[in-house]
Amino acid sequence: MIKYKAFKIAVILCGICVIATATFIFGYVFFMGFHRIDINFITDRPRGIPLGTEGGVFPAIMGTVYLGALSGFIAGIVGSITAIFLVFYCRNKFLKGIIVFSTYFLAGMPSILFGIVGYTILIYMLGMPRSLLTAGITVSVMIVPFITIRIVKSFKEDILDMMNSSLCLGLPKWYIIKKFILPNYLINIMTSISLGMTYGAGAAAPIIFTGAVIFAETPGSITQPFMNLSYHLFILVNEGISFENAYGSALILMFLLLGINIFCRILEHLREGADWRFGKGKQ
Amino acid sequence: MKEKIIKYSLAAVSLLIPAVFTIILFFVISESIPAVTQIGVGLFDLQGIWRPLSASPSYSILPMILGTLYVSFLAIILSAPIACLCAIFLNYYVRKRISKPILAFIDLLAGVPSVIFGFIGLMIIVSNFEKIFNMSAGESVFAAAILLAIMLLPYIVSSYSESIERAKDKYGSASLALGTSEEYATLKIIIPITKNSVVAAVTMAFGRAMSETMAVMMIIGNAPIFPTLFGRSQTIPALTALEFGSAEYGSLHLSAIYTANLVLLILLCFILTATSFLKRKLLKEYD
Repeated sequence: MIKYKAFKIAVILCGICVIATATFIFGYVFFMGFHRIDINFITDRPRGIPLGTEGGVFPAIMGTVYLGALSGFIAGIVGSITAIFLVFYCRNKFLKGIIVFSTYFLAGMPSILFGIVGYTILIYMLGMPRSLLTAGITVSVMIVPFITIRIVKSFKEDILDMMNSSLCLGLPKWYIIKKFILPNYLINIMTSISLGMTYGAGAAAPIIFTGAVIFAETPGSITQPFMNLSYHLFILVNEGISFENAYGSALILMFLLLGINIFCRILEHLREGADWRFGKGKQ
Repeated sequence: MKEKIIKYSLAAVSLLIPAVFTIILFFVISESIPAVTQIGVGLFDLQGIWRPLSASPSYSILPMILGTLYVSFLAIILSAPIACLCAIFLNYYVRKRISKPILAFIDLLAGVPSVIFGFIGLMIIVSNFEKIFNMSAGESVFAAAILLAIMLLPYIVSSYSESIERAKDKYGSASLALGTSEEYATLKIIIPITKNSVVAAVTMAFGRAMSETMAVMMIIGNAPIFPTLFGRSQTIPALTALEFGSAEYGSLHLSAIYTANLVLLILLCFILTATSFLKRKLLKEYD
């Protein structure tokens, strides 16, 4: 049948096309950035006039790491508590509906919106300095829904049965969570938080107004402004400063984020035993 | 007693998310009130233009709204068929041992920051547009749509592949027992069964496309005019990112920007409702 033949060819072509696109994107950044990277590029600060044409990106790397760590810390605490509350404690359907709806809505909002609201409230109204702290709070608002959804999904479906069986033994709920659920799901929770961190550290839109600057030294405290690789890359490209260095920064950013990403996936895989994909436990 | 304290403190922390959501929503609405009351219909003037800084300013956000919708639609049209067929490919033509890592590999695309996508788009899509179509500047709606389509691939592939897997678990062996070919099975069984999940995946991807900021902003050209396929245009997030810094606090200009975002949020709300409705329907179907 010619129809089925054509369909088969279309399916195979599309499959190869998608795989090729993904390979191309990773390969392109890798090969174009590879020869720009040397030890100097990683450990030096940006130099040259305009700034960024020479030198390295060390403050930007550190800024990215700090931003990821800070926002991951804030969002991790809020996100995991919300997930535990939603799954084990929340009996009120209305309350649950509100939390779930706002989580999903926040997850779908444009990232720049967090930036402008964060700027207006934190910096304009509350008078905080443009700093790692304001950017961290803004980014953590952006990644909280992401982390919450991931953690809720990573709890397997039989978890409520286990919970009920333990409750039948007369144990208090918090004791079960502390002694049984948390140790068992610690890796899932940590990988969810790390993936949220990579998502937050790579986003440029929310930090344009809230704390990232074109040049700063490695921040010594959370009240200082900072550099961020993604914002640095954006400036290098948008102002046409140096495409050469832009490739280098892009490669470092990708290594940093995808490195954590792949590490988390492998950890999850080893733990789940059978499933490569994230957020979907073995069933 | 201790349990109660723990429960209520957990609840208090969990309420942070709805609280932040309400604050943002309240903020966007209250900031857009001046523009809505003072400009009113002028915001959606068909003939209007976005010229907030001229001596006789006009604040029509319609070009940006249409630009956002246009780019997202185009991206979905380019991306959805390819991604869906790719999901079928991974489930039917590749052995499971290989298809799982491939899926994870495609999923990795979703972890690439959008700035890198914008950069790649600028270096490859835009410069090739200039060569192929002989354009003086390759930044255009079509270039942005191609880039967005690539960015949406992982979302559609992974979510559709999941529902194919479920459908295959349920009907795969039955159709195999009847001796049908893979093509027959996918065309006559899998696609009809999973058409709701295609719609769900595509609407979700549409929402993502609309709220994408950096990548689109870098290659769409950012001219606040009505979108044409090979012309420049602007999306609402790009408008926000570019003009927020230069708009005075409390001015009509800023208020109009917030109104544009309000429109975007309303659209996103529709999409969210539609997807959650579809998902609930899907869950019912599978139970």
